Amino acid sequence: MTTPTWGEPAGPLTSAEFGAATQAIMTNIEQVIEGKSATVRLAVAVLLAEGHLLIEDVPGVGKTKLAKALARSIDCSVRRIQFTPDLLPSDVTGVSVYNQETRDFEFKPGAVFANLVVGDEINRASPKTQSALLECMEERQVTVDGTTYELQAPFMVVATQNPIEMEGTYPLPEAQRDRFTARIAMGYPDPRAELAMLSGHGDHDPLNDLRAVADAALVRRLIETVRHVHAADAVQQYAIALVTATREAPEIRLGASPRCTLQLLRTAKAVAALEGRDYVLPDDLQTLAVPVLAHRIIPTADAQLNRRTTDAIVSEIVHRLPLPHDRARNPYDTRDGRTSYESRGR
Amino acid sequence: MTGRRRLGLVAAGATLLAAAPLSAIFDSWTWLLQSLLTVLLIAGAAVGARTLRFPTWAQILCMIVGLALALTWIFPSGKEILIPQPATFAHFADLIRQAGEDTRSYGVPVPDRDGLHFVTVLGIGAVAILVDVLTAVFRRPALAGLPMLAIYSIPVAVYLDSVPVIPFIIGAAGYMWLLVADNVDRVRRFGRRFTGDGRDVDVWEPSPLAAAGRRMGVLGVLVAVLLPLAVPTVSGGLLSRWTQSGGGVGPGIGGGGGGRINLFAALSGQLNQTATVNLIKVTTNEPEPFYLRFAVADALTTNGFSNESPRGPSLAEGLPDPRQAASQANFAQFRAEVEVSDALRQSMVPLYTYPAEVRDLEGNWSYDPGQQVLFSGRSTTGEQKYSFTYQRARYNRSQLRTAQPLDRDDPLRKYTEAPDDPSVENLVARLIRNEDSEYDKVRAIYESFSAKNGFRYDVATESSGNATDIASFLKNKVGYCQQYAAAMAWMVRAAGIPARVAFGFTRGTAVGNGTYQITNKNAHAWTEVYLDGFGWVPFDATPAAGVAGSTRTAWAQDVDRPEPTASASAGPTGPDTESSAAPTVPQRPEQGNDGGGALAGDGVVPDDGSWMGAMIAGGVALVIALLLIPAMRRALLRRRRHSATTGLTATAVPDGDPGPAGTVTDIVVTSDSVRARADAHAAWDELIDTMIDFRVPVDPTETPRHTAQRLIRETELAGDASEAATLLGTAEERARYARRPLQGAELVTAIGRVRSGVARSATFRTRMQALLLPPSVLLNWRLALGEWSTRTAEAMTRMRDSLSRFSPRRLLSRAR
Repeated sequence: MTTPTWGEPAGPLTSAEFGAATQAIMTNIEQVIEGKSATVRLAVAVLLAEGHLLIEDVPGVGKTKLAKALARSIDCSVRRIQFTPDLLPSDVTGVSVYNQETRDFEFKPGAVFANLVVGDEINRASPKTQSALLECMEERQVTVDGTTYELQAPFMVVATQNPIEMEGTYPLPEAQRDRFTARIAMGYPDPRAELAMLSGHGDHDPLNDLRAVADAALVRRLIETVRHVHAADAVQQYAIALVTATREAPEIRLGASPRCTLQLLRTAKAVAALEGRDYVLPDDLQTLAVPVLAHRIIPTADAQLNRRTTDAIVSEIVHRLPLPHDRARNPYDTRDGRTSYESRGR
Repeated sequence: MTGRRRLGLVAAGATLLAAAPLSAIFDSWTWLLQSLLTVLLIAGAAVGARTLRFPTWAQILCMIVGLALALTWIFPSGKEILIPQPATFAHFADLIRQAGEDTRSYGVPVPDRDGLHFVTVLGIGAVAILVDVLTAVFRRPALAGLPMLAIYSIPVAVYLDSVPVIPFIIGAAGYMWLLVADNVDRVRRFGRRFTGDGRDVDVWEPSPLAAAGRRMGVLGVLVAVLLPLAVPTVSGGLLSRWTQSGGGVGPGIGGGGGGRINLFAALSGQLNQTATVNLIKVTTNEPEPFYLRFAVADALTTNGFSNESPRGPSLAEGLPDPRQAASQANFAQFRAEVEVSDALRQSMVPLYTYPAEVRDLEGNWSYDPGQQVLFSGRSTTGEQKYSFTYQRARYNRSQLRTAQPLDRDDPLRKYTEAPDDPSVENLVARLIRNEDSEYDKVRAIYESFSAKNGFRYDVATESSGNATDIASFLKNKVGYCQQYAAAMAWMVRAAGIPARVAFGFTRGTAVGNGTYQITNKNAHAWTEVYLDGFGWVPFDATPAAGVAGSTRTAWAQDVDRPEPTASASAGPTGPDTESSAAPTVPQRPEQGNDGGGALAGDGVVPDDGSWMGAMIAGGVALVIALLLIPAMRRALLRRRRHSATTGLTATAVPDGDPGPAGTVTDIVVTSDSVRARADAHAAWDELIDTMIDFRVPVDPTETPRHTAQRLIRETELAGDASEAATLLGTAEERARYARRPLQGAELVTAIGRVRSGVARSATFRTRMQALLLPPSVLLNWRLALGEWSTRTAEAMTRMRDSLSRFSPRRLLSRAR
């Protein structure tokens, strides 16, 4: 098992190479998931942003299919964990087993020792088991019996879950949720996509036809390319402003963490790169605000009573927050620091 | 409904209080009694109507009926029994007409006149109904202030200078009462008010909003006090009383009103003052002006001469042509400027006779053509500065001699009425027995007042001015101008020739350049005699030696100077007597001075007109220029944004400066990129301003890309314009966020395309506004103003905070 580490220099790709590679991955996935290009793009963006993806939706909309299609498209080690209520932490991380022959304890790696870990129905496991993922997701390492094992790069957890209102689910702890870069919802397909799905799935599972179009090394180079995307000061300020706004909003009890800021910007870079840009736009942050921020915040009891979803709260913050400007460099701006149309209401 | 009934009563009370300022107009309090009855009747009608739950219109009708009944009972025509009849209303119309006459003939305070009372009661009743309806029916007590203000305005309109303050305070208190009562009622309708600690709030306990109310009140008072100061024509009242020096000799003749004043008393008052006070400074281009004149006493009874209240049309209607009054005289036009000091506050304006045009006189003035008096009911001459042109009548003795006696039924015959006094009649008969012409009779009487004849001037003479006193003056022959003037007027009347006493000032002391300084010692009275065809001809019988600044006319020369008198009487037709009131004026009289342009004084008139035109044109141009400032500012801004961004220094930084953690901050900073960024920003600012100009909403939370897309969507841009908008969005986006800005793009043309595209979809009105009054500029100014005021407020707060460090209260709380 080759274990390339994260710091290994792989060298960024050119814009054209990057575009071709990512387009191949996305087209591949879309063979299975029809009419969900935005969701697929976001999933790929999270992969390139070195993040973890949480797919939350009602049963039967293709969560697991998306996760598996993503895994199949990349030629790398893939493990799947079916989270069941009786799953134990050691099933996830691995366990030391006494070897009669060597008369010693031998570490049997768990399911997380892979490039891509598909955690299905993650919220059906008990919080005890879920918390086994905490260390590996953030630190990309596993510590069992005092020994720390590094995980491979890239490492991505793609988890699916049903909304917590569904029966037989345990809500994910905040710490766990915070480790997922983005939470996406599949949503129902539109009638045309559903029709295509019916004809496509009629005789065989298209997932079986899927071939890998990228390997771990390529993904590492893609990630390296994303790291070089430029984020202007104004964009960084905007990211901070967005996250700060969730901490200050009156309807939110727990705002987003600094880790969230980091992941937001990283994902924005990935999205920018996927669109063929080498710079981040505030538009990217605005599109990512709901997927990246909404699952981390906890609304106040009042907001919950008013049936305000976190998605609604976050998108309202986006619509409320003025864009920061870096106009100091503009010698033609006769107004002072706060430009006039910034302070204008809608 | 109880609340409404109570409010109705409060409205009635407030109306009565608001009527308090009328007390300044009436002599007695009858009007108040009548108004009280009327208002009570109206309020009673309203309460009754409300108790019976009448609809609104019926309530109003009830009140009107109440008013009609009250008027009928208070002002009965005598033909009705309690209920008004057609005859009653005819009587009312009569009363109103009568009131109209009364307002013209009476000065304030007016005596009890039925007409005036009727109008007053009618007005107060109408106000009472209005206030009641506004307060109790429509619940808008603040609006009820307007009809109450109507009552307020009456005394202010009548008196210009001095209105008593107390009644106004009473009226204001009535209004306050109304507002408070309504507010209390409003709050009570919600139930009980109680404080946080569970106890009921007293009605008069200050509300938490009291501080805000106080602030607004202070602001309102400040504005009300300061605003009139900024308006140049408003003067008077408390402030000017403070700012004017309170010294001087107090009110002059007839201060405060155009009513009947005792001119003789005022004259002797002026003359007997120990101090010499400068009253008037007059500058004229007439070489030898005759006296300034302001009043006449033309009624002679056993009480002596007295004046009738002058009456006549407003000065604004122009002055009569003197040629009608003195058809046979020649006229020359002159011009005079008069400056009246504060010490002379009278309601009649000193003028030279036959004024043709009076200018710059503040206040409402009317001219009595008969008395030739310019008077006012409420304005005074104090501190006035005015100018006037006047026609000086010229005639010589031979002309005057042609004057014929008046017809027996001539209306001017009333100026020959005199009390019966045999001694005077005998004296006159003796004096004129040898004279034929009217003029010669007057001359004979005039010349009898000579020192030779034993007359002696003495200003210290005590005299009440009545008929006996005048008669006794003719016997003891000691007196001053008022006795001389009155005695001569009486004697001329006794000769059957109209005469009257004129009041004014002698010429005064010449101070050069045609300017004369007139003091209280120059106050004077003389006789005016009506000679048919020549009008009122002045004769000053007072010895010239006794009066400072005295002057004599050719037709009535000084009787105490023997030589000219002798020659004058010797050769009445001689050429030297062909003189006039102004002897040094060229002899050829300018006849028919209609085209007065030949005279020096008129040179200014056309100038004035052209100045006026120029000023109006200038004002209009200024207003237009002011209105165009925003548009010009917008155009300048656009030009500056479009202009090339030359002269920018670029700070070249090596590309690709790798950060420590592998991040690369390789922002390209070359002169080109700096310029491209600046261009993009300028173009974007221009686009945003264009959007504001054309009323496309601007959202600060939107990214440039979104803004451009929305602009395309909302204004339905197509083709070039759409591409241009996208290009501008991309350029700005890259200038702001990318490593390399968009270079070489035609942003100026793009702006032009977007602008025309947006303009196409806008309405005509929006387009015109964007062109003439660009909202972007106005918005910027408003924002700047707002920012400035915020900053000022912050500074004030900081200052207050630092000052509160020294507040003794702080020490107190610390000590506790």
